Amino acid sequence: MLMLSQNERERYSRQIMLFGEEGQERLKNATIFIAGAGGLGSPISIYLAVAGVGRIILVDKDTVERTNLNRQILHYDRDIGRKKTASAQEKLREINPDVAVEVIDTTIDETNVRDLVGEADGIVDAMDNFPLRYLLNQVAFEKKIPLFHGAIRGFYGQATTILPGKTACLRCTFPNPPQKEVFPVVGVTPGFIGMVQATEVIKYLVGTGELLADRLLLWDGERSVVEEIALERNPSCEVCGGRTRHGGDAL
Amino acid sequence: MKVTLRFFARFGELLGKSRVVDAPENTSLSDLIRDAASQNSEGYGSIFDEHGAFRDFVILMRNGKRVPAAAADRTLLSEGDEVAVFPPVAGG
Repeated sequence: MLMLSQNERERYSRQIMLFGEEGQERLKNATIFIAGAGGLGSPISIYLAVAGVGRIILVDKDTVERTNLNRQILHYDRDIGRKKTASAQEKLREINPDVAVEVIDTTIDETNVRDLVGEADGIVDAMDNFPLRYLLNQVAFEKKIPLFHGAIRGFYGQATTILPGKTACLRCTFPNPPQKEVFPVVGVTPGFIGMVQATEVIKYLVGTGELLADRLLLWDGERSVVEEIALERNPSCEVCGGRTRHGGDAL
Repeated sequence: MKVTLRFFARFGELLGKSRVVDAPENTSLSDLIRDAASQNSEGYGSIFDEHGAFRDFVILMRNGKRVPAAAADRTLLSEGDEVAVFPPVAGG
């Protein structure tokens, strides 16, 4: 268990007021896997870095394009053409040199996802498609670590926190993916949903507050309304249903 | 009977976000949504496929509880029910 340095006590003094040095040490000793360094991954990784999450693993396969810059705030105009991982690592290290930022420039797939996630304490879903989200959901279930889900389109977004064996999984809630498209988006929407996800990560690691467990938060930015919908496990879910019936740790 | 029907996200943009419907007795969940969606062909097409079945990603809620699309035809509504229809979003 790594202890806080004097610099860290000072850097995090205002949040140590919230959850104590013990809470801050939990953040310092945590590893969080963030899948995607785009619209959601940018604000999430920035805020987890400044909060002092000790080890951040950030995976992305893409190169920065001009069309990304309205929302992917880790990447600057000068980064166009660079790998998002390189751009992200540079910024996050400057933002907080006290946290370890590991970036992996690869396409997440069925063959590598388990190794990529490794021994992480949680997975943040900052993807832009459901097939990869389902893969993250599967791995979160296998490793029994939480999946912090978020997704956006236009002015709308959704978020929930999946605790394997305890809550509905992503497949229970969304058995079928929406149609693929080039989605419209203004940067504030992934900013908003990313902050919900990052807040969930911090609460989970520190062990405080109440998580978005079995609750789907829906954000309507057009009307500035937040609503929530209760979620339930699907007993016949192809991911989490069967094992539960065979004496898993559910309900 | 009066029931509240709410469309979320893209569905709401196309069909209006919320309305109170004065529906006849024995109206099913499917009937309610189909009637409301019929007012706008793009809105209808966003929820129903070419055979008139719910698109498989559409999520239906009645009084905060999920109703599978396969059960929507036989789910009869009651006075005061609140129905929500929404599409998951997928961007990131």
